[in-house]
Amino acid sequence: MVLSKLLTNQTVKYEKSFHGNWEDAIKLAADPLVIDSTIDKKYVNSMIDNVKKEGPYINIGSEIALAHARPNNHVKKIGLSFLKTGNEINLIDKKHPIKLWFVLAAIDNTSHLDVIKELMNILMDSKKLDLLLNANSQTQLLNAFNEPNNASK
Amino acid sequence: MKILAVCQNGLGSSFIVQMNIQNILKEENVDTSNISVDHADVGSTGADSADYFFTDKTLADNLNVPKDKVIPLNSLIDKEETKKDINKILKKENIDFDAN
Repeated sequence: MVLSKLLTNQTVKYEKSFHGNWEDAIKLAADPLVIDSTIDKKYVNSMIDNVKKEGPYINIGSEIALAHARPNNHVKKIGLSFLKTGNEINLIDKKHPIKLWFVLAAIDNTSHLDVIKELMNILMDSKKLDLLLNANSQTQLLNAFNEPNNASK
Repeated sequence: MKILAVCQNGLGSSFIVQMNIQNILKEENVDTSNISVDHADVGSTGADSADYFFTDKTLADNLNVPKDKVIPLNSLIDKEETKKDINKILKKENIDFDAN
């Protein structure tokens, strides 16, 4: 399991009441990857610039954002981090309220695809998604990610 | 027939949609010997790249392809939504599938 190596108590965060906008949320979600040098701050800025330029397309499902940018020399290795905000933060506008913030760092066009596959197994499993949406601590979030996988429908 | 999932970077979201489409075709026992499914970024996508283009609805207008070929998705991870669109295409193209 690639995912369980990436989503750890270092990279998964819970903020009960988050004060800030979507840019702050992406920055906070990405912070662990900056700290462990997976990415540098320029990658964080390019993720934010992408949304400013192209719109809220990273809103991949209800209340879920998957922030990412093109692989560039500000990414050292594949990375994934996660922030849950207890309150909804609007991505650009009210039509895109988000609570689950994922940050993906890719080094090329293919090597991160297994990570996405595993992540989708979780997000498309309605039981696990409910666990994430209802979680109100870091421990509960980690438990949800590490739940044995049901056959995804 | 070629189906292309498109997103801004051609990295994440488009691959999610590609995965969903492939799983749906498999579940519906569709003969995929003449169907290809792939993913790409907006910049490298032109009208000739595929027969059908699946993309996030916020990106649909950025796509430089005929509108009738574009299938905008509200949610990329909602397999049921993608399934409805896929089934429409299969019907239109007279391709057999197991409806369920």
